[in-house]
This record gives sequence, structure tokens and C-alpha cells, in this order.
Amino acid sequence: MTGPGPHPAEDPATGATQEGAGSVAVPAGTTAVDVPIVVANQLWTPANPAAYAPGAKGINEDIEHLRDLEASGILQRDNGRWAAALEVVPTTADYILDLIRANSLWPLLSGLACCAIEMMSTATSRNDMDRWGMFPFRASPRQADVLIVAGTLTTKMAEPLVRLWEEMPEPKWCLAMGDCTCSGGRYKRSYSTVQGIDRVLPVDVYVPGCPPRPEGLIYGMMKLQKIVVDRRGHWPQRRTGPTVPEGV
Amino acid sequence: MTERAHRPHPSLDDPSIAIEDVLRESIVDAVPVARTEREAEFYTLGDGEMLLNMGPQHPSTHGVLRVVLKLDGERVVDIDPVLGYLHRGVEKLCENADWHQAICYTDPLEYVASLFCEWAPVMAFEKLADVEVPRRAEYIRVLTGELNRIASHALFMGWFALDLGGLTPILWSFIERDEMMDMLAAVTGQKLLFNYFRIGGVNGDINHEFMSRLGDWMSRAGAQIEANQGLLNENEILVRRARGMGVLDGETAMRMAVTGPNIRASGVPFDIRRAHPYSVYPELEFDIPTRQEGDSLARYLLRADEVKQSLRIIDQCLHQMPDGPVMASVPRLIRPRPGRAWAAVEGPRGMYGTYAISDGTDQPFRMRIHDPSFVHLQLVSLLTPGNLIADTMAIMASLDPVMGGVDK
Repeated sequence: MTGPGPHPAEDPATGATQEGAGSVAVPAGTTAVDVPIVVANQLWTPANPAAYAPGAKGINEDIEHLRDLEASGILQRDNGRWAAALEVVPTTADYILDLIRANSLWPLLSGLACCAIEMMSTATSRNDMDRWGMFPFRASPRQADVLIVAGTLTTKMAEPLVRLWEEMPEPKWCLAMGDCTCSGGRYKRSYSTVQGIDRVLPVDVYVPGCPPRPEGLIYGMMKLQKIVVDRRGHWPQRRTGPTVPEGV
Repeated sequence: MTERAHRPHPSLDDPSIAIEDVLRESIVDAVPVARTEREAEFYTLGDGEMLLNMGPQHPSTHGVLRVVLKLDGERVVDIDPVLGYLHRGVEKLCENADWHQAICYTDPLEYVASLFCEWAPVMAFEKLADVEVPRRAEYIRVLTGELNRIASHALFMGWFALDLGGLTPILWSFIERDEMMDMLAAVTGQKLLFNYFRIGGVNGDINHEFMSRLGDWMSRAGAQIEANQGLLNENEILVRRARGMGVLDGETAMRMAVTGPNIRASGVPFDIRRAHPYSVYPELEFDIPTRQEGDSLARYLLRADEVKQSLRIIDQCLHQMPDGPVMASVPRLIRPRPGRAWAAVEGPRGMYGTYAISDGTDQPFRMRIHDPSFVHLQLVSLLTPGNLIADTMAIMASLDPVMGGVDK
């Protein structure tokens, strides 16, 4: 037993007694379980009883599942730093967290075309982005902070790229590298390219050039660090860029 | 407490339903409807086989290639590459551009060796327009082209080792590659996509910065290349794994229209610089290295040999280069005679070709671009079955495709 949790047999808050926990007998002849099986928590006391006590009196009677709790908005105060970064007053701890975030930006290893070669050149010995804390190129979007879109985005690749972006956890930032991703570049008139990735993704920093020099990418990443420290750019309500027509 | 309809899976109550059958059903449901016989054969799963999707964002597929693997445990049974994630419509764009402007579109096709993607269309357009290229311009083309070939092979060695699990060689090869790219940037003004060759010559003469950097690098190139190859050639992990992996025999290679280092590693001494000579290559002395084994190790070692031959060519170019203009007098707006022209150059991956049709106007009527990466990617489904998943990516790396050229 961890914590001073009361015995479940005499705890009204958990909403289930020892007897209720044992009442899992399914009537004979039926093949499906109609009543949810509730096993009382005997091990520990949750910090937020509403999350674990279905139908507990006095907290919120409608909530009986974790997904209902998330939908109800009660938990918003726990992740308020992410969900409403501009609505709360940041504390000193938040500033320190921002400094930590800005100085270890983990980019996603997703090269699309020519600019990917220059992105790799930026990461290797000669230019060595590691010096400014933009170190490990992660192959999994779950571990990445920054999406560097390096190279021409075609219409066929747009859907997987948006999916990669949505798989990345907040807070996250997007950097458009190269003319093709900023505006379409030299393939502006092609039938199969997306003319600027801000049609499908919210972009924080644009680095033009065809391709940009590695110094240009490092400069763009330093601008991104400034954005992170200034707490600009990573609010969840952000929309895609100005070229998106209404209704799309 | 509200009533809620709970629908547990039937296998929870019915012991006659095996979970394996349920899983197989769900896998079969995810398979798309077959449109061709090949797809129907591919998506028919045998006993214990499964499908695995890899890409389009995967660190070892060299770009935005997506492959669907049919697996039996860890062994690859069949493989199906899915292309088109980098299709930029280059050929169509060229038909809507000026003859001079079309070079700018073909330039980023193979972004690792972009000079060769300019060279082939420029040669085709010169044949159409009957332009005589000055000899100094030809020597400069050969000189910069061989530098670009060395840079491309340097990157190949890094990538090949990276796909076999070694991180250090790519750091070393990028040092050399950046050095050569800085040299070329001193001449062309750009670091990756040079846009240097023009119809009738090159954009500018070689300058002092290029010559001093090149002389500096040539004085230590031999020792540097030996050091870089010493990192890999005697590495027992690499040699033991790459030997006998993905063997391609010469007959199959010729049947599949393989060119470049991949066919020379299978024992066929085919090199366009000697088979269909162009530019000033007939005046230069160099060997065509050939290997008989046809496996991944032979493809790697052959590129290492080619780098040494490229150094020989660069040395001769510097000694034999004549003085003179680097650009013929070509009007800004050219209207070549109606006709067709084919030109091919030997790039670091094989034959880069351009087939251009002119109808007498200032724009190409039709342009067809032949790229070796597309041909070599067909070999993946020939060579990989029977290998492990990890070796699949290594075989693909040894063929050295670049997705920009595959999808065009």
C-alpha cells in the first residue's frame, strides 16, 4: 500500500465497495458483458479523484471515463502552459524551461530533395549545428521539436508531411528551408508541387535560397531560438499561412 | 451512471475464434485492391507472411522513396517500391521554357551531381543548334565534372557506411565533399545547384581562388583518400557483411540496362566516356576499373577506384588546358533547326541522357530525360528477396539511387 488511502470498503468516494468489485458474475446464457467491470482501487490515492473514480459524488457525476474527463476541460489547468501559453502569466520556471527548449532544438530528419544535402552538410563536421544546441536529428517525429522542411514539397508528399507534423508533440516549430518551400521557387509553375508549404503547414521561419548555404540554415535556426525564448509562435490556435483562401 | 453499450470483441467469449485469424483478417482488409497481375501476386500473402511499409520519410531510403516489404519473419520475400513522392514535372516545365532556361530545370534532378544533369541537355541542344564549343570550355567541363564525380562518390561512401551502421565515415566524407563544393562555388557562384554549363560553353572562366583551392587540395588528395578508405576498406564488419550481398551478374545487368559503376562492378567494362566518346575525353588517359564479383562490396570498391582515375583526369586537364574563350557566340534567343538529338554523358551513377525534339521554335517541343537512378531502382526487387531487412537498405545504398532523378 502506498499513501494513506482509506480502505475501499468504507470509502464513499471511489463509488465501489469490496462487494461491488467482486460482482463480475455474468448471467448465464449471454455472450456479452453488459455491465462494466469495476475493480476498486486498493493501492493508492489519486491526486485527482475525478480521473479514477467513476461517478464519484460531489466531483462530476457525468464523468466515468478518462476520455470524458479530457473532453470536459477540467484538466486544462494542468497543461495550461501548453494549451494557452499567451493567456497565463509565465513564471520564472517557464522562462527557464524556454531557455532549455531553445538550446536543445531537436530537428526531425526528413529531407525531401536538394536542400536535404545542405541540411546534412549543416549537421556534419564543417558547419556543425551542434555548437548552438541544434543537435540530434531524430528519425521519429515523436522525439522531434522542429520540422525542417528541406526541399520541394509535391502534392503526393504533402499528406505524409502533414501527418508527420501532426505526430510531433507540442511545443513544435516549423522551418521552411529553400525557395521551393517558401514560395514554390523554380518549380512554381509545375503542376505537381505545393507552392509554398504555408498552404498546408504553419511556418515559423522562412530561409530562402536555392539551396540556402549552411550558414543560412544556422541563421534561421538562431532566429527560431529567439522565437522560442520570446514565446512567439507555438500557440495551438495558430492557422496556416496567409495564402490559404477562406473556406479551405 | 449512464448506460453504455459495450461491445467487446467476439473472440473474448467465443474460444473457437483464434486471435491469429482475426489479425490476418485485419491485415488483409488493409491491403488495397490489386489493379495489375503483379499487384495481385504481391498482395497475396502466403503462410506466415506479412506486409511492412517503409517510408516515405525514412532515414535510410535516401530521400522520399516508399517501399512495401513482404516479409517472412526477418527475411524479405518480395519488395515493391512506390515512386512519385518527388515528381516535379521537369520534362513538362522544360517544354514551356526557353532553350537556355530549360537547363535550370534539369539542374536539380540529381542534386548530388548536378553538373552532369546540365551536361546532357546542353550537349543535345548544341547538336540541334550546331554550336561549336571552344576547347577551353570543354576542358573546364571535364575538370569540374570530374570534381563533381569525386564529391558524389565521397557522399556515396558515407551513405553506404551509414546504412551499414557506421556514423563516422559520413562525417569524414562530408569534409571532403564540402571542400570540393567550395571550390566549385568559387567558379560557379553556387554551392549545390551550379547552373554553370551553357549552350556553347560555360558561364565563366576558372579563377584564381578555384586554382589555389584545387592545387591545395590536389597536393593532399592522395593521402586524404587513402586515409578515408583505410577507415572502411579494411573494416572487417563492413567487408564481411557487404561481400556476397546483392550479387548482380553481368547478363542480368545488361538485360536491365544498368550503366555506370553498377555494371562495371559486374564485370562489363561499359563506360560512355570510352564507348561513345564526347567532349575531350579521347585526348585524356585513364583506365576503366572493372570488378568481377558484382556484389555490394565490389560496387563500393569500384567507386573508390574511380576516384583515383578522376584524379588522373583532373591532373591532365590542368596540364593540357589551352587558352582561349570559354563561350561561343550564341544568340540569346536560339531557334534550332527542326529535328531530334540525343546526348548522353557518363555520370557518377551511370548514363545521363537527354532526347530533345525541336520544331524550329524557341522552346523544346519535347524533352525526355534518361536517368540512371530510375533504372537502378528496378534492381532492388531483383536483388533483395531472400535477404534480411537491414541488408535490403544496404543493397539499395550500394546501388546509389537519388530520388530526385528517379521521380524527375
